[in-house]
Amino acid sequence: MDLKDIGLYLDDRPAEGVFRVHRDVYSDAALFELEQKHIFERTWNFLALESQLAKPNDFVTAHIGQTPILLTRDAKGLRAHVNVCRHKGAVVCGAETGNTKYHVCPYHGWAYDASGKNIDIKDRKTGAYAPAFDAEDHDLVPLAKLESYKGLIFGSLTKDVPPLEDFLGGLRFFLDLMMEQGPRGMEFIPGRAVYTYRGNWKLQLDNGLDPYHLTSTHLSYIDIQSRRREGQGNVEARQFDWAMRVAKEGGSFGFENGHAVYWLDQPEPEKRPIYPALPEIRARLSEKHADWMLKARNVHVFPNMQIADAITLMLRTFRPLAVDLTEMRSYCLAPIGEAPEVRAWRLRQFEDFFNPGGMATPDDTIVYSACQSGLAARPISFLQGHARGLAKAEQGGNDVARELGIRPSVSVKGGFTLFNEITFHAPYREWARLMQAGVAGAKAYP
Amino acid sequence: MGAAHAGGGRGREGLSVSGTEAGVELIQREAALLDEQRWDDWLALYTEDCEFWMPAWKSDGTMTADPRSELSHIYYANRRGLEDRIVRIRSGKSPASTPMPRTAHLLSSILPLEPLGKERMRLRSTWACHVVFLRTGENHAFFGRYEHELALKGGAWKIAKKKILLQNDRIPTMLDIYCV
Repeated sequence: MDLKDIGLYLDDRPAEGVFRVHRDVYSDAALFELEQKHIFERTWNFLALESQLAKPNDFVTAHIGQTPILLTRDAKGLRAHVNVCRHKGAVVCGAETGNTKYHVCPYHGWAYDASGKNIDIKDRKTGAYAPAFDAEDHDLVPLAKLESYKGLIFGSLTKDVPPLEDFLGGLRFFLDLMMEQGPRGMEFIPGRAVYTYRGNWKLQLDNGLDPYHLTSTHLSYIDIQSRRREGQGNVEARQFDWAMRVAKEGGSFGFENGHAVYWLDQPEPEKRPIYPALPEIRARLSEKHADWMLKARNVHVFPNMQIADAITLMLRTFRPLAVDLTEMRSYCLAPIGEAPEVRAWRLRQFEDFFNPGGMATPDDTIVYSACQSGLAARPISFLQGHARGLAKAEQGGNDVARELGIRPSVSVKGGFTLFNEITFHAPYREWARLMQAGVAGAKAYP
Repeated sequence: MGAAHAGGGRGREGLSVSGTEAGVELIQREAALLDEQRWDDWLALYTEDCEFWMPAWKSDGTMTADPRSELSHIYYANRRGLEDRIVRIRSGKSPASTPMPRTAHLLSSILPLEPLGKERMRLRSTWACHVVFLRTGENHAFFGRYEHELALKGGAWKIAKKKILLQNDRIPTMLDIYCV
């Protein structure tokens, strides 16, 4: 297809009830390269939690697309640089996290301090450098933008992005519900899972917002919950009864800039680790916040970060490595200072479902590879996986949005078995918008 | 020691309860039962109150040390968690388990750790598990160390604790109890 006409990849005709995504969006290596340039390098990307960088000289490494990033805390606050030595281009800091005053390149020993300043070019005096070299800036290249929202740190390789709060827009209420669960803030519980899958990064984008697959891909997990109701199996995980979800109401919102939320009234709220903290939350925030923290919520922060809160609280990033290869990182997010018995309960729930060695995620990731294999099939053009619920979609806000005081671009409300696929629309519309702007040479955020 | 077939001369119903020989045979038998997908026989090697623990790695490059306050890949405080796994594997409803990946466990460097009395023994070993995932056609070798704590129950050695120290923890797509 013509890479100049992104409209060919997304068949979006709301008036006719059509929303179709072309298989090339997941399988075309040329599109993948354009995504790096026109999406990841031109928008905000989640990098880390502020609580990971609590002390001076703490550092965290991350990526924006293919670009390695080094986040540090110096005397003035948070700093972010491209984690690449100015000398020969080696990645300077190879660790994931740590604390150090100086970052020394493993190749020729050029050294940088926590503010990214070059403090040593090894044997500079004997190097017979010409004056032109001395005139160059040898410091680590700073990120164009670095901002935080409620402890979530985002960076951008370009300065032409809206302020972070504007970028997040109406999604902020849902991020508040994640990041304000603890009176002292939130942290990643030590230990993380890193795994890859043989599939495009947008397969995770979809699946993280998709209730439709739960009752087929995870049937074995649902059966195990039924056994546990009879007292068999790992009852210590104290999972809610999945069968009770069928009678519940839910919905979704899509937002400007590609963000989306899927929500559902959750059965057995007393099985949430947050439950014992509800009186404190009501007093500190509001009744509304407490009520919504008990609902199941899957939040997608465009382009590649999701927070899910139905089975404890998990934050995942999915980094595209190739058109058909993605690296996932998942963390168990929890209130700082949580009671030990609640934390142990949270961990058992998390491991049960979310780990790549758990009992649900493997069924997802193996299916992503099945999709990627299938998406190479040339006789297939447009997929039929973004259509459920279209007849119920309301442009703008619905009554739930008005009650919350948020202004989504699209809203859906319905029972669990609506299994709506409208939640995907905002991310794909934003994908197409940024890609089209990129190929047209236009600004990403006019 | 050697052949780890059920019904062999020694084993969990075995005769040799002294030294580490019986323990070495037990953990080799365990690996063989996983590869042969003999799940009931495998479960029967464990005590009901066994601890099954595979810690996760932290971002600072060290392994988690306390399953109550830090993340594990798998943590069960008793055998019921392992029973869940077997139910899922056999359900025919788990895409990750259907068709079942095929495995080969290799076990080596089995050494006794300090004994905990006459009816407890601890062994450390080095393992690799080759897996072929039939849905993707991909092969992978997970590897690491085991620490087994064995207990003598009614004349037979059983697994009271198993700790799996997975060394290559950047996991391709998935793992399950039979991959480690």
